[in-house]
Formats: sequence, structure tokens, C-alpha cells
Amino acid sequence: MAYPKEETEELKSYCAKLSLLSEAGVDFLHMEGLRLPAGCEPPVCDGLLCPVPKDGYSSRLFLSTQVKSPYTRNWNVSNVRIGEKNWFAFSWRVELTNLTLVQLLVAHLTGFTKEK
Amino acid sequence: MTAQHICVINGLPGIRAKGFDMENQVVSGSGEIPPGIDLADILEFAARGEEVPHAREYRVRIDDEKVTVDTAHPTGEMLLSKVGKRTCSFELIEEFVHHENCVVEPDETVNLHKYGLKGFITAHKEIVTIFINGDPYQIERGERTVAEILSKVGQTPEGYILLEEKNGPPMPLPPDLPVTICGCEVFHTQVQSGGSS
Repeated sequence: MAYPKEETEELKSYCAKLSLLSEAGVDFLHMEGLRLPAGCEPPVCDGLLCPVPKDGYSSRLFLSTQVKSPYTRNWNVSNVRIGEKNWFAFSWRVELTNLTLVQLLVAHLTGFTKEK
Repeated sequence: MTAQHICVINGLPGIRAKGFDMENQVVSGSGEIPPGIDLADILEFAARGEEVPHAREYRVRIDDEKVTVDTAHPTGEMLLSKVGKRTCSFELIEEFVHHENCVVEPDETVNLHKYGLKGFITAHKEIVTIFINGDPYQIERGERTVAEILSKVGQTPEGYILLEEKNGPPMPLPPDLPVTICGCEVFHTQVQSGGSS
């Protein structure tokens, strides 16, 4: 699946390197050096955006580490292997479906900046 | 065309005749006298109580910095930019030898020949300009709530995320923490679309 070029270009401003990672029929967007919102520790880690439905979620953001943030999150994915790396994810549902890739990423990053 | 020498008062403070070719200075066809000196330092003329002559460049003091402009009629915005400041956060104030101060609006043209004008100072505005989704909005400087900022565009934290573009891409801000406003901040908004499950 090809993602719109203008959307992937926009996504590049959030990370040091963006690449496509295809596995098990899913095209993940692999973001190395993904910047996280203020208050996150670490402030940068690798991310894997899954813009398509997976595991009962309409989209998911996997992170290379369990990020500490001002709000406690339900990290319901730990050490899942994708692309020969371990990934973590917290339970966060993004309901809107017509978002651009950056809007989708921001919607997931918002999970670090609000309580519910 | 009649050649005419332009008088250069060599040796006086505030006048620099470096590189000035007197032989080539002529009255223009329109009768206007071309700039008579290379550089006029407006403070030095003001201190002597003299009128600032026409010059190719003018040296003005803004706060503690000396800057040079190539027009006698710069705008307030142009002068502020010379000291790396922006009108969304700072204002420019004319200082006169008789202690009078006048605020210069960003698009207002200053006359550097104005009698007694010795320079400028800058001051942080109390009401500054921020940018939300590309449009400018006025807001009081200091710590503001996310709700207050979103209200500028008729939105609320319940419906929208506030993102700030600061040294990087727009990042979501926590809705329950104050945002420090100094002026010129760039914000974006996005419909709330995520929640814990």
C-alpha cells in the first residue's frame, strides 16, 4: 500500500528517518528518532505507525521503549516483535478515520499529554 | 549638466567620507541633491543640535546596538528586525534629545532627519501577537491557559487539541498546564480524536 507522498513528507518533520516496513501484510511507517511531546522521557525514541486496523484498534503507534509521561498509560503491548525489533504500545483509540498521517500521529502522541 | 561638488564636512563626528568621490557627485536631472555623505550617525547630529544631512547610510542606535540602514525612512518593523526582534513581541520607541519618547507602529515610516531624534529603544509588549492556524491573534503576555488560546479561534479543549510549533514540528500541549506566551508563538489546532481505552 502506498501512502500519499505529501503526507509522508510531512511526517518526516517528526523524525530523523522515515521508512516503510512491511510485515504480515501491513505497511508500517518506521520513524527513527521520533520526537515526543514535552514531558516525555525519553524525549525521542523510534516509532512505528500502523495507519490501518490492527489488534482491534483502527490504528496504532508502537514505540521502541515504554515512555514515561505525566499520565499513567495502559501499556498493553510489550516486546512485540515487528521488523526484528521489540515494540511497546499503550491502549489508545483514535476514532476519526479521515486523518492525514501527521494528524494520526498527533492523535496518538496526544495520549502523552492528556489524562483520558 | 553642470557638475557641482557636494559639501562634505570632513572631520566632524558622525560624518564619514570614506570612498566618497566628490568629482562624480552631480546634481541630478530632477534637481534633487544626491546623498551628500556616506554615513550619518543620527545620535551625533542630535547631540550637536544639527539637522541630519542626506546620506547613503544612516547609523542608528537601537537599545545598545548600532545598526545601519540605507534609507532615511525605514519602517518600525525594519528597524526592529535589525536587532533581531519582531513586532509580534516587541515595540519600537523613538527617543529624542529633549526626553520625549514616541512609539513607532510596525508599518509606520520613521523620518531619520527628524530634529532631535537620537535613537530608539525596544520594549516587550504587554499585548502580543500569536499565530493560530496561520492567523494572527492578540493576547496578553504571560501564562495563559490552553482554553484561553483555543477560545481565540472559537474552540475548546473538549473538542480540539492545541499544538505548538517550537523548535520542531507541532506537538500537542497538555490541556491542563499553562502555556507561557512571550509573543510570536505559533500554534495549530486539531480535532480531538483519541482517548484511552
